[in-house]
Amino acid sequence: MTAHDCLSAWIAARLAGDERVSTWREERRAEIAAGVDDTRFAGLVSLASRFIPRAALAPTDAELEEAEVALAGWNPERWDLLEAARVELILDHARAAGAGFEAALEGAFRYADDGELRALYKSLALLPGGEQFAWQAKEGCRTNIVPVFESIACDNPYPFRHFDDVAWKQLCIKAIFIDAPLWRVWGLDRRLSPDMARMALDLVDERRSAGRDVQHELWLCLGEHGGERGLESLERELAGDRILGRRAAALALARAGRTERLQALVETEGEPTVAQAMRDALEGHHDQGAFRALDPRN
Amino acid sequence: MDAPMRFFDPHIHMTSRTTDDYEAMAAAGIRAIVEPAFWLGQPRTTIGSFVDYYASLVGWERFRASQFGVAHLCAIGLNSKEANNESLAKEVLEVLPRYAFKEGVVAIGEIGYDEITAAEERAYEWQLEFARENDMVVMVHSPHRDKKRGIIRSIEVAANVGVPMEKLVIDHNTEETVEDTLNAGAWAAFTIYPNTKMGSQRMVELVKKYGPERIIVDSSADWGVSDALSVPRTAKLMLEQGVDAEAVTKVTWQNALDAYAQSGQIDVEALLAKPVIDQSKLFSDNSVLRGQEPRVDAAMPN
Ligand SMILES: [Zn+2]
Repeated sequence: MTAHDCLSAWIAARLAGDERVSTWREERRAEIAAGVDDTRFAGLVSLASRFIPRAALAPTDAELEEAEVALAGWNPERWDLLEAARVELILDHARAAGAGFEAALEGAFRYADDGELRALYKSLALLPGGEQFAWQAKEGCRTNIVPVFESIACDNPYPFRHFDDVAWKQLCIKAIFIDAPLWRVWGLDRRLSPDMARMALDLVDERRSAGRDVQHELWLCLGEHGGERGLESLERELAGDRILGRRAAALALARAGRTERLQALVETEGEPTVAQAMRDALEGHHDQGAFRALDPRN
Repeated sequence: MDAPMRFFDPHIHMTSRTTDDYEAMAAAGIRAIVEPAFWLGQPRTTIGSFVDYYASLVGWERFRASQFGVAHLCAIGLNSKEANNESLAKEVLEVLPRYAFKEGVVAIGEIGYDEITAAEERAYEWQLEFARENDMVVMVHSPHRDKKRGIIRSIEVAANVGVPMEKLVIDHNTEETVEDTLNAGAWAAFTIYPNTKMGSQRMVELVKKYGPERIIVDSSADWGVSDALSVPRTAKLMLEQGVDAEAVTKVTWQNALDAYAQSGQIDVEALLAKPVIDQSKLFSDNSVLRGQEPRVDAAMPN
């Protein structure tokens, strides 16, 4: 099944009990298939909020697997039904409009509110030829409206696939600035670099100079590229008294390949959650997904 | 005040207010606001300025307010002053339907008369027609000069177009216009400005005289000298001077809620639930908060 087919099946199942809403969806899909102009298309994406409930999509494990098969990295775990329905309309229009779709999508972006923007950004990875919208996707990472930023940056394979190095590094560091969950940036572990590690360490120094705590996800940016400077910085975090930061630094030590050092530390570690993070890391649980356990939102 | 109250300020231009105002408003119990589209103190020269302004009302400003636990609603419209630039006004009216149905848009507004010119009337009528066709609430700004005549005419024209009176909010009323508005069946809103127009004391007298039905208090705070806390301050004065609590609740919360909830764009249940601000979810260096510790689980005062 394509991502488009997946979405349609999931939405139909969830709206089955509501005739008014199901009918609205079916009629609008038919209207789009028959051909609509750019203004009408944007209007329909907008109008969906007046019909489709904003309930969680709450995909089942089987549906999440379908998503991953349809497109590696596509994770609708946190989508809501309205976003899903809007993305379906966008994919419908992409299929119907052919070459005219690009202009239609640009128009929809131009007049979108936040809810529409979230759906538009979530659709990009699923669009055939979606790479042509990389400029727009980067615009999404320039916003300070956190939910909009997350719609392109998190649980979305688009940036990993289509962002150049500058945009990719900016996305990752900005996620930390605006407190969006970096561990949910798909492909992060595969696109770490010495330069990203340096940016992260500069930020660590800046935070410490200002007398502020270091955001624990900054340690996620080092990977194996932190060098001596990174190790020194991690040791300082581990010697501190912030539990979240120490747990993250323990994972980061393992990510840097310093297992002997971690082995030595775990023997004297008195704080149980830090010790647990160290043991987990020593068992190899230190990829970006391991930072999920440190996310206060989870 | 003995019991903490919650307030709805249904007319305030947050785009020109600071985060200090948002903090003070939230602390004073203001849960929800309506920001109607207006002019910016000087005329815009291109359609793009309107597009970006409307986009900020349904976008950035809504997000900014959410970070302080304030529900931001808005009204979309072409104001009377800028209706006089007819070629630009035409472009604005073309783009207006794109924003009228966004989430959180509770009305067409603020529209109406400024100098009571023919161009203003054309834009006003067009927007009234649009509101009637789409079953929307209308927020009418009444002119500062020639107010009484302006209000009577605003109501007549709205009635002629077929806008139901329960969907019509006439703002900036005074002692001289309140009877015209109430007798027509419309909602009568009063703007409490420090020093000018309406003051809190006059509002107390008005509520004592006319009762609380269909009367709404707002601040209309903007880029001029104005008070973002007008609504809670007026409520306090009313209570001190013996207006009963139920009436105070009506004019500073319930009536505005009833008027604008007709849009279907207010999640009344969420608004009634005691909001808890968790800025750690939303704040950060690059959004609005800069360096201060986020307030976590700070309960609203009401
Ligand atoms: Zn105003």
